[in-house]
Amino acid sequence: MSDNFAAVGLLLAFAVVLPIVVMAIVHLLAPHKPHKEKLIDLCGMDLEDHLEVVYQLSSLRGPQRLRIVARVERENPVINSVTQLWKGSDFLEREAFDMFGLQFRGHPNLKRIYMWDDFEGYPMRKDYVIESHEQRAVMRVRKEGE
Amino acid sequence: MIEGTQEYSLNMGPQHPSTHGVFRMVVHLDGEVVTNVEPKIGYLHRGLEKMAESRTYTQFIPYTDRLDYLAGPHNSLGYVQAVEKLMDIEVPERAEYLRVIFAELGRIASHLFMIASGSLDISGWTPWSYCVRDRERILDFFEMTAGNRMTPNYFRIGGVSHDVPDEFMPALESFLEDMPEMIEEYYGIFLGNEIAQSRMKSVGILPKELAENLLITGANLRASGVQYDVR
Repeated sequence: MSDNFAAVGLLLAFAVVLPIVVMAIVHLLAPHKPHKEKLIDLCGMDLEDHLEVVYQLSSLRGPQRLRIVARVERENPVINSVTQLWKGSDFLEREAFDMFGLQFRGHPNLKRIYMWDDFEGYPMRKDYVIESHEQRAVMRVRKEGE
Repeated sequence: MIEGTQEYSLNMGPQHPSTHGVFRMVVHLDGEVVTNVEPKIGYLHRGLEKMAESRTYTQFIPYTDRLDYLAGPHNSLGYVQAVEKLMDIEVPERAEYLRVIFAELGRIASHLFMIASGSLDISGWTPWSYCVRDRERILDFFEMTAGNRMTPNYFRIGGVSHDVPDEFMPALESFLEDMPEMIEEYYGIFLGNEIAQSRMKSVGILPKELAENLLITGANLRASGVQYDVR
């Protein structure tokens, strides 16, 4: 674990290889009141060869922060949902699903949140290439007879 | 004779006079009782992270102002500080001070607008005009320095774009002198107002446990009785 562990001031950072242990870590750090460890942000990351889910935690018991990074495969991006622990992670997980295609196992309502339902692809992935702004911002040409 | 009610769903928005922005809700109703609300956000999602991929680090600074247009300098500050940390750049002391001054002015402007629109939502027009009057002075500081009023685009990687003009400091001093009196005025006209109090007290209480579980932050969390402050 020592390679994956870095302590910078009050910020603790964990790198997790097995995605299922996120909840276990939180329970380990605060066995009686896991919800007192407050999830501040949950986001996806695309590192080309694999995807990551980053959990930013803060504590209601004092000024301390914790960052958990879970690594998931690109082909099969499945990770356990933390909605049982924090109800509020519902929307955050939906955003990560919408943008990166991360599948949260056990999420009650895993639907797209920003994009419309029949949108194809996951826009924040690195392999989702859009045309450059200059190419898209062309003026519309008037058609004959309009 | 009515023999019971039928549950039905109603679409509200995306353009609706009661919302501050484009936002749609699918409201499930049983008679006049709202049983469930499905919020449909995303009408204002611009995918800034994706835009950033095709911009240089300097080119992205103006976008960060627009993340919170009521306190433009804040997100700019976070962004340029992150880039400086990665590049290991040290910022001149004067620029550090100017950044703090701008971030604080942005914060005050944002708070004033919060009080203003908060009062407007419960039909208090007078506090609105008082708060916006004083916020205007802060926007004037942004304008005289950076040219823009709400999104100043003043910070740069490694400092600020240029020094403040000569008239900035005297104007700021006179603003700070007037500040205590202004706050007293807001207390008198809005928080001490009986109508405002009766409309806000004991309304929409979020229980402590639920607020913690729903990951509420900031003033809303403290209002639920949780002693939490990121500072």
